[in-house]
Amino acid sequence: MAWITKNSATMQIDRREEPYLSEALKAKLEQEVIPRFPTRQAATLPVLHALQEEHGWLPYQAIEEAAEFLQLPASRVLDTATFYEEFWLKPKGRYVIWICQSLSCELLGNRQLVEAVQRKLGIGPGQTTDDGRFTLMNVECLGSCGTAPCALINEKLHENLTVENLDRVLDSLE
Amino acid sequence: MALAEPVLLKRIPTPPWGDFADRKLVPYEQYVATGGYAALDQALAMDPKAVIEVVKASELRGRGGAGFPAGMKWSFLPPEDGGRRFLAVNADESEPGTFKDRVIIEYDPHLLLEGIAICMHACRLDTAYIYIRGEYHHQRHVLEKALREAYEHKIFGPGSRLGQINGRDVHCYVHRGAGAYICGEETALLESLEGKRGWPRIKPPFPAVAGAFARPTIINNVETLATVPFILERGADWFKSMGTPRPEGAPPTVPASYGPKLFGISGHVNRPGVYEEELGVKMSTLIEQHCQGMRHGKKYKAAIPGGISMGVLGPDEYDAMLDFDVGKKHNCLGLGTAGVIVMDEDTDMVAVARNIARFFSHESCGQCTPCREGTNWMYRILKRIEAGDGTTKDLDLLLEIAGSIGAMPGTTICGLADGANWAVRTILNKFWHEFESRVTKERYVSLAVLNTR
Repeated sequence: MAWITKNSATMQIDRREEPYLSEALKAKLEQEVIPRFPTRQAATLPVLHALQEEHGWLPYQAIEEAAEFLQLPASRVLDTATFYEEFWLKPKGRYVIWICQSLSCELLGNRQLVEAVQRKLGIGPGQTTDDGRFTLMNVECLGSCGTAPCALINEKLHENLTVENLDRVLDSLE
Repeated sequence: MALAEPVLLKRIPTPPWGDFADRKLVPYEQYVATGGYAALDQALAMDPKAVIEVVKASELRGRGGAGFPAGMKWSFLPPEDGGRRFLAVNADESEPGTFKDRVIIEYDPHLLLEGIAICMHACRLDTAYIYIRGEYHHQRHVLEKALREAYEHKIFGPGSRLGQINGRDVHCYVHRGAGAYICGEETALLESLEGKRGWPRIKPPFPAVAGAFARPTIINNVETLATVPFILERGADWFKSMGTPRPEGAPPTVPASYGPKLFGISGHVNRPGVYEEELGVKMSTLIEQHCQGMRHGKKYKAAIPGGISMGVLGPDEYDAMLDFDVGKKHNCLGLGTAGVIVMDEDTDMVAVARNIARFFSHESCGQCTPCREGTNWMYRILKRIEAGDGTTKDLDLLLEIAGSIGAMPGTTICGLADGANWAVRTILNKFWHEFESRVTKERYVSLAVLNTR
């Protein structure tokens, strides 16, 4: 997590005309989030979460805009963004399937779930289907050990999973 | 010795007093109708210092893993200087096996908010941040809704019952993390709160003196704060009527294990879940009475007493008393978060060790070299042993690495590596034969033989 490297010298940043951090979002953050903290930097996580919620991931341009909004060098915001597992610096599928791999889930058979998803969707952990619908991720403890094995699909937690009911859940997603 | 009635779970149906299936969110009205926020009113009628004294007298120990006496922590704050003072609520519950705070937040969020309000009054803190892990989406939404209710009813916000503290209106915010186990370490949590990467800080200065934004800060776990209203309401003596007292003849500086505690039990049991019991309950009681025994009638083999960083209890420690002293008695790190993971006779302990080592190598923040590298070495060695390619030398190497990483051997800033250290070391020591049977004896091929043509 802490050692994502980038090719700084030759890196090209894809840019678009329209800003990712819209004026409306800026106004909302300025009013609701900034006053919560004594420093602007403290709003980094909430701002990145808001950007990601709107665009699905965090393009470099969005990071630059967030930095400008937070009055920080872009490198500071990138430093924070690369540390956390939930921030996507490359596009992800419409549905991210996070399958828990920690101890309780492993004891109760999370491997079969991962294998079943791999078979069904043809993607391994960290990969996205070609149609951009699903991304499969291994994740450490989701805090649902009592109802293991479990998986998070976007924001929804699915508990007491079996290969069959995970299959049903995946089929129910468009 | 069993808890006569539920305390923290009084509004959350739990066997033997209720049914898991009946658990639902307790909204503000119901919370108040069942005696909620009475303890806050009681606290507000008291001098803040007197509130701290009650918590101190109860000897309430932090429920987040380290077991530090909460009242003592509160009394470490420097005198007020008119500047801001913060409360950071640790709801970054990410220790594998732990899912107790989630239950409080999900079903009885106002209990937490009441504890927060009491703490803010007692310690004269003007702003509280509830740092909740990013993966708890539903719980975050529940908490945000409860907070809106609390603002409406003047628990927080302008004109709140707490009045102004440090010359400011009192506020409480939900702050969402973004998926990093290390942010549950208190100073990493503060760094993350400040918008930086979650790298633990070197202590001192301790957060009570210079914490969030370099101001005095109290950091408490969700369950710790949720316990506070009950202590105020029913008194320190009531609280100390539960749990295990300090050993006979020990000086009062030795902390005891008083009060009720949430136990999250998972793994190979029939009815896993979050239960409430007195501290000092036997693990066998939890498994047999609360969880209705081992799954498929299998035999018990091992258990993690409280989150994977605490190490394991072996086959002969089935009756271990789960209180803060479990570590001393049973050669593990301690009670931790009381997230018990139970394993049956078919469990492969090499795989368990590998899983745990993978967790720590994945979650190491990368700041201290012994942890960043050491956890990963252990993971690779354990993978090798699991695949059948290990040698006897690997076992010694594992013990050597495990014994040299962590804050206890003094090579890292925080305790993450200690977790890896204790987990791997105790599994290896208590199940040595299992590891031994999986490795091949090192063969020394002499050069003389190789050179023979």
